[in-house]
Amino acid sequence: MSLSRRDILKSGSALALGTALGTHGARARDMTAREKELYELARKEGEVTWYTAHSNDTTAQALGRDFEAAFPGIKANVVRTTAQVAYQRLTQEQRAGAMQVDVFSSTDIGHYVALKEKNLLEKYAPDNANKLIEVYKNYDPDGFFTVTSAGLIGISYNTEKLKEADAPKNWPDLLDAKWKDKIALGHPGFSGYVGTWVVSLKKLYGWDFFEKLAKNNPQIGRSINDTVTMLNAGERIVAGSGPNGTAMESAAKGNPLAMIYPPDGSVLIIAPSGIPKGVKHPNAAKLFMEYLLTPEASKIWVEHFNESMRPEVKPLGGAKSAADVKTIRPSVEEITKGIPEVIKQWRDTFGV
Amino acid sequence: MTAALDHLAPAAPTRRFRLADPSMILWIVMIAILVFLIASPMVRLVVSSFQDPETGRLTIANYIEAYGRARHLQALWNTLVFGSGVAVLACLFGVPLAWAISRTDMPAKGFIRLMVFGAFIIPPYLGAIGWILLAGPNAGWLNKVWIALTGADHGIFNVYSMTGLIVVVAVTSFPYVFVFTSGALDLVSSEMEDAANILGAGTIRTTFRITLPLVLPAIVGGLIISFLEAIALFGAPALIALPARFQVVSTQLWQFFEYPVRVEQAAAYAMPLLLITIFMFWLQRTLLGRRGYTTVSGKGGERRVTRLGPWRWVMLGYALFVCALSVFLPMLVLTQAAFAKAWGRGFSLDNLSLQNFRYLLFEQTQAQQAIINTFVYSGITAFAAIGLSLAIAYVVTRKLVPWSNVLAFLCMAPFVIPGIVLAIGFYAAYAPPPLALYGTGTILVLAYTTRFLPIAYTSSAAGMRSVNPEMEEAVRILGGGRLTAIRRVLAPLLKRNLAGAWILVFIPAARELSSAIFLVGPNTRVISVMLFDLSEEGNFEVLSALGMILLVTTLVIAAIGFKAIGRDFMVRNA
Repeated sequence: MSLSRRDILKSGSALALGTALGTHGARARDMTAREKELYELARKEGEVTWYTAHSNDTTAQALGRDFEAAFPGIKANVVRTTAQVAYQRLTQEQRAGAMQVDVFSSTDIGHYVALKEKNLLEKYAPDNANKLIEVYKNYDPDGFFTVTSAGLIGISYNTEKLKEADAPKNWPDLLDAKWKDKIALGHPGFSGYVGTWVVSLKKLYGWDFFEKLAKNNPQIGRSINDTVTMLNAGERIVAGSGPNGTAMESAAKGNPLAMIYPPDGSVLIIAPSGIPKGVKHPNAAKLFMEYLLTPEASKIWVEHFNESMRPEVKPLGGAKSAADVKTIRPSVEEITKGIPEVIKQWRDTFGV
Repeated sequence: MTAALDHLAPAAPTRRFRLADPSMILWIVMIAILVFLIASPMVRLVVSSFQDPETGRLTIANYIEAYGRARHLQALWNTLVFGSGVAVLACLFGVPLAWAISRTDMPAKGFIRLMVFGAFIIPPYLGAIGWILLAGPNAGWLNKVWIALTGADHGIFNVYSMTGLIVVVAVTSFPYVFVFTSGALDLVSSEMEDAANILGAGTIRTTFRITLPLVLPAIVGGLIISFLEAIALFGAPALIALPARFQVVSTQLWQFFEYPVRVEQAAAYAMPLLLITIFMFWLQRTLLGRRGYTTVSGKGGERRVTRLGPWRWVMLGYALFVCALSVFLPMLVLTQAAFAKAWGRGFSLDNLSLQNFRYLLFEQTQAQQAIINTFVYSGITAFAAIGLSLAIAYVVTRKLVPWSNVLAFLCMAPFVIPGIVLAIGFYAAYAPPPLALYGTGTILVLAYTTRFLPIAYTSSAAGMRSVNPEMEEAVRILGGGRLTAIRRVLAPLLKRNLAGAWILVFIPAARELSSAIFLVGPNTRVISVMLFDLSEEGNFEVLSALGMILLVTTLVIAAIGFKAIGRDFMVRNA
């Protein structure tokens, strides 16, 4: 692919108008009444800043661009980072009394529980939340946060270096000494996905599992998506915390990757979004919350191999989704209490 | 102090006249700015390290909390090992190259000098990414080549180790040692060396017994700077130390900013970094003071080239080896990754792609803005730092106010403050109301200006000392004000000097990460912070592409500077 004149013109107009022209045609669906009402108000605010850990950068940017196309005149600032870093920035802003974020999308549900307790979240129950797949509905009956994305964690491996028959089948297989120096992991101190994964596996097998895993000298990155890079590069062969979405997206691009869904259960991550108190663009924030729950957003999620939020958007063929495999997930309380705890344990066991 | 007192006396009778001078107001403003930029955040940092986060009452609990864990103390020790390793290695790289270029007949000197400059503009975190691609234990290019050549089942280099981190940082920081050493070597005349030769000493003996000891203070200066630069780094350790399973002070400081944010503990934990730095500068002053050889006079004598004979090719080989480690190899793999679909697929035509650049420039919502921000902020910073330092240097050299030496000290003080510590001070002092600067471009420009003020001040003061006051006095006798004298006489005289200083501030500001990391907001993101965020996912292709944009743009701006002022500005100004 190369840069064409059209691209350059496009970027010029994108800069000038704050919206990407050309690639997006007419919208397939009319705005809902709530969306229309919010759009009128949000247009005056002109922009929305989204801190997201829900997906990798590519997916997050695609959602931001699609939002801009759906609601012309509102610029989306998409800042993708790991859950704990996003939360760090949010608390820093609250402490300084200078809110930059409008919509906060972490993958650590404990963040919302803590923010809600301290009365730091704006109450907003999106209209579109009633149209979600049943399991994602009504996570917070008080309407301070809403589930906006979900994804699976299994085991991924490099198919060039490892035959399917030899790959680990279940989580405890990762403890086998033959995987010494071959495993890649993310870090619960950064990634909310990895944090929830650690809490789940600790519940299944006890902390002993991680003591033994440490003996296999895994390579520890930060984001859960880093494990996919390590596999593609051939630096490591097995991702102990393998993100289904990023791995399958990468496999679809031709990288030698495959997923294993452990019989003890793939970890299902249910990740909410919320609007912190005192944001600068409250209406744009509400509109963005609505947008994340539209079929259009779900279409982008499934194109990038994340879970669909809406029943009418089906997963693409080839990749498995949460409905096809056995899943496990800790309760909200277990996550809220568990993640800060396992971060400390992790640092003692793995040294970083 | 006596100097300050001396000029206080003659100043007294004319004080009323001075106050009437409009420029006096300007000086007062400058001083206020200096206090605002440097004294206030630092005082705030020290104070908050002793404060209870909730009540604000005096406590040492932060220190107990910060040093109460073995892991935190280990990080402190790791930092010392890391800094010392970098300093020693930087000397092994920098000193021979400086000597070869300044004193021998080694071929291709101009090229090597250019490559050393190249090493100077490559940010350490970008070098680190290059070295991850080169020396990743299984997938790194060097290891792949090794395995292919020897048939071994695993590679021999492991970038994810303390040694790896030391090498990666040393190859980007040896230019400091190089600049200091070659600056001094260019001033030492050959008379002493001749004397040694006459008394029967050979080339090697003369070099080690005469030449190098003469420039030892400069070498020590370079050593100390490399040490301090290394211990204050955040990006390269975050990329390498985490997978290598160890922490250093800067990465540990980052953890204090995790939820719940513990600025007070971070402040307490930053104190050793500050004390070590102050100690190092004291040490350097003491060493320099005792070893002030008058031979380094800058005047007279001739500097003769040492003929190395066939050894000059060996010397060139070593220089090329250092350049390979610092520039050729990392740039080769970064370029490959920037234009690759997947870097692991290697150097082939069907792996070539512009997709990474396309993604950054057209699909990413933040990259365009970040690129513009980076160069706008560093440009403004360079102007602000030079304007401020020039004014202060003027006040100090012309002794316009009492205690002007204090101003000079304040200007140099940020030198001893690691970037990440400075950011914490700025965050504590200026992020909350009443100023509420968090998330604005202003706070970044202020932090950058503070951080690079010493570079600007060194250049401005040197320039100012070289200008004879008689010329401005002429203007004033003819009825022009002080500001006219500055604008019409001083500024034109110092133009080249200032342009050089502008570039010297601009380059490090454009790549600055550690002081930006806690201060950026979504609309004020800069390339370095964006690289850091992207590095979480390990997306090396896009990272490399963004790194290329940073490097190429910096190079273009530096090249314009070179053209304007001549190529050797880096040596003259340092």
